[in-house]
Amino acid sequence: MEELALLFPNLTLGFSTAVSPANLFYCFAGVFVGTLIGVLPGIGPLAAIAMLLPLTFNLPPVGALIMLAGIYYGAQYAGSTTAILVKLPRESASVVTCMDGYEMAKKGRAGPALAVAALGSFFAGTVGVVLIALFGPPIAELALKFGSAEYFSLVVMGLIASAVLAHGSLIKALGMILLGLLFGIVGTDVNSGMSRFAFGVTGLTDGISFVVIAMGLFGFAEIVSNLERGGAKRDLLFGRIKHLWPTLDDFRRSWKPAIRGTAIGAFFGTLPGAGPTIAAFSSYALEKKVAKDPSRFGSGAIEGVAGPESANNAAAQCAFIPTLTLGIAGSGTMALMLGALTIQGIAPGLQVMTQRPELFWGLIASMWIGNGMLVLLNLPLIGLWVKLLTVPYRMLFPAIMMFMAIGVYSVNNQSLDIYITLMFGVLGYVFVKLKCEPAPLILAFVLGPLMEENLRRALLISRGDPTVFMTRPISAGFLVATLALLLIMVVPAVRKKRQEALEDQPHDTTA
Amino acid sequence: MRFRIKNQEDFWSGLMFINFGVLAIIVARDYPMGAAMRMGPGYFPTYVGALLAGLGAVICVRSLRREGERIVGWAWRPLIMLSVAFLVYGFLMEDRGLGFVPALVALIVLSSLSRREFKPVELTILTVALVAGAVGIFSYGLELPFPLFWWR
Amino acid sequence: MNSLLRNAVCGAVLAVLPLAAHAQAAYPTKPIRLIVPFAPGGPNDILGRLVAQKLNEQWGRPVVVENRGGAGGTVGLGYAAKQPGDGYTLSMGGSSNLAVAVSLYQKLAYDPLKDFVAIASVAHVPYALGVNPVVPVRSVKELIAIARKKPKYLSYASSGTGSMSALSAELFKAMSRTDIIHVPYKGTVPALTEVVSGQVDMMFADLALIKRHAQAQQLKIIAVTGSKRAPAAPEVPTISETGLKGYVIEPWFGVVAPAGVPAEIVSRLSAAIVASLKSPDVVQRLDNLGYEPIGAGAEQFAEIIRNDISKFAKIVKTAGIAAQL
Repeated sequence: MEELALLFPNLTLGFSTAVSPANLFYCFAGVFVGTLIGVLPGIGPLAAIAMLLPLTFNLPPVGALIMLAGIYYGAQYAGSTTAILVKLPRESASVVTCMDGYEMAKKGRAGPALAVAALGSFFAGTVGVVLIALFGPPIAELALKFGSAEYFSLVVMGLIASAVLAHGSLIKALGMILLGLLFGIVGTDVNSGMSRFAFGVTGLTDGISFVVIAMGLFGFAEIVSNLERGGAKRDLLFGRIKHLWPTLDDFRRSWKPAIRGTAIGAFFGTLPGAGPTIAAFSSYALEKKVAKDPSRFGSGAIEGVAGPESANNAAAQCAFIPTLTLGIAGSGTMALMLGALTIQGIAPGLQVMTQRPELFWGLIASMWIGNGMLVLLNLPLIGLWVKLLTVPYRMLFPAIMMFMAIGVYSVNNQSLDIYITLMFGVLGYVFVKLKCEPAPLILAFVLGPLMEENLRRALLISRGDPTVFMTRPISAGFLVATLALLLIMVVPAVRKKRQEALEDQPHDTTA
Repeated sequence: MRFRIKNQEDFWSGLMFINFGVLAIIVARDYPMGAAMRMGPGYFPTYVGALLAGLGAVICVRSLRREGERIVGWAWRPLIMLSVAFLVYGFLMEDRGLGFVPALVALIVLSSLSRREFKPVELTILTVALVAGAVGIFSYGLELPFPLFWWR
Repeated sequence: MNSLLRNAVCGAVLAVLPLAAHAQAAYPTKPIRLIVPFAPGGPNDILGRLVAQKLNEQWGRPVVVENRGGAGGTVGLGYAAKQPGDGYTLSMGGSSNLAVAVSLYQKLAYDPLKDFVAIASVAHVPYALGVNPVVPVRSVKELIAIARKKPKYLSYASSGTGSMSALSAELFKAMSRTDIIHVPYKGTVPALTEVVSGQVDMMFADLALIKRHAQAQQLKIIAVTGSKRAPAAPEVPTISETGLKGYVIEPWFGVVAPAGVPAEIVSRLSAAIVASLKSPDVVQRLDNLGYEPIGAGAEQFAEIIRNDISKFAKIVKTAGIAAQL
């Protein structure tokens, strides 16, 4: 309980650092820029932080860190906006938000979806910060226990869990997972350095980027199928807006998922790698499992927005734990954050907390303040976003096309990405027609390379001994959980099939 | 007809999975397989491809027996026009292309043609507004390094 | 974002400086692009942005960093090679894509000597060999002894097949006639993390990174790879002095431009970059990052590139790394 005793003096120090006018300004500048880039295509948090890095050379280290961190979690926070409004997920964690958030928007409930996402994120953000403050170092040690075997087992669990995302047939969802794994292979093989499935195209040697596949399968395909479904006659695609704000019932449904999502996010966030993504998918899978009526999921269940959004934001905040305390970065953005620290002459590591307490606690306090600013910044914007949806679709879709084109092109500044997006767009439309859901494919696409890499690496390290996956306790735990998950999924499916055979009338849940 | 396809959606999904699976196996034949304990670059894609093809076959067979829906109403016009719009945008953004502004104009106009009705005045206003906004935000605000026109 | 904030901060400066630059000569009259052939955030990117900022301060013309990552930095350089050689496109290269790539890739989209003109070298990156504390060795000699006694017992992590980190280890293996298992990762950070956690035994990486973990008792620094000891860690011996005579790996970064840039512009660019590398704040920043400024002019830099191309050709050959990329 030593942590608790020290918490108050530490937090006092942190807040006294964070509320200085200059630091408040850096914090605001950070979350403001983060919100902007989270909404606009064309530039991700990584590029934005890199661009602002030279500016921070002349700032005090605390201010620099507060601002860069603000960009990072601000962008994560705002990432849900385009996912909910126009089905354009900016990063893999937002794919989950699309599933029910966009359906809510189509039913005229964009306001409640955005508000719940914002409030859930705020809750997760603030709780995440407290967790960092209390258990930062011990949780970070956990990250070091994660070797290749553990990662492999975790990814397998994540993949199986993603089948739950589909509200159609389980076997087709499994097919989409396998297809996603194949798309994930495109690019240079880490072990041999060989480029695979690149068909001699240099632009493919680093693989297909997430934005390309997501804009194609979600954004492009959605526009085509909207135009098919009478978009030509009907100008308003989105349902009439009944409430701008969540109702009491929405809150009643959302608070538990938000708490569970936060816990899941805090756990996965400390793991380097795909933390926020796995957290968001896991939270969705969990909410769907505990829901009284799982069939609502996929057609606008608010729980499916509250849980994953809280999870991915908690994960985003907790990603700072291993970065600051161990100096290990789980993502490119965190690596850049480390770079920003070192360029200022600060070596990350446990000594940061003792040698530069004002830096560590100042950052943590600023995250609290920043999360508050984000809510204040985003809630008023909701009205504006919802207004945007009242623009006739015939004018809205060319604008969405433009946003996608600019966003895709600017990832690598190459036209090739536009063409590949188009290919995935057409494929995505075929998926719509065949009722194959793309979300599991995308998760598999993101996790597939991690799975193969860690499988091969674990076997290299164990000198070819496959029992490592069972002899290492954490890994074994994940595999057992995977098995349990499979049973949970298959048993009701079998039972349902029998029931269907009796009733002779499958009830269709897709609206 | 004994082999009537009862569930078209599933039948074609299965066929698609088989195709992708087989394609993966064929392409992966060029990569060394290695052994289970020391996997080569060809190992993972071959097995994933085989699993996918197998799963596809199961889905196909099931579709012959279980009743399902027919696939109707492909949106050919939007599909083709939006594809053309993207292709032309990509082409104009190439190194020797015409630049950002012409590419955007082409993208917006061609996209709008995916609908049958066509309002020239509205389209002109929309195009000008979107292009001006995009150039303002992306070229000047974010300093994305796109040449605006072919002369710059 | 860049400009929104920057203009807010130093808009006045930007408004005045172009006039001064104009009065001086006809170059630069428009923004300069600096192509960084890696994704944002890496050492190449950070150095690129440092140089861009300094040129911008000197000339008052925006120097825009453009990231074009892919295939170990060869995609971006391939793109840069095709740009007009007018001095308005520069690129931040390194020993990996300017010197090693020629012998590693079968089809390289550029010839580092013919397609580029060297402008100025920027910095050395001291490399070191870090070992997990559990491994019972304190020196290169002891390490080689264990590796010889038990082939395939030790493992090393690298930031990728064909990377500088893997090449350093392969050269080590070839010269010491040992067999150490290669465990490749995607990038330096995840690889180093697994050496810290003990999954893998050792790794060649930036001295600064290894030193940071060594200070937290997470790693042991066994040796540095340069021809001399590094000023940042004078107590650490070189590999060459402790068992493997002649082992030298000295990665560097430098600015090049597409061939065809007029000699006058080359020398102006070169002088500006070399001058900026002498300014105290740049020296301090490079030092914080663990880099040593070189600041060699165009001719010297061209010489460095030429020498390293033939040196790495030999390493790749002796290490038996198949050119399959």
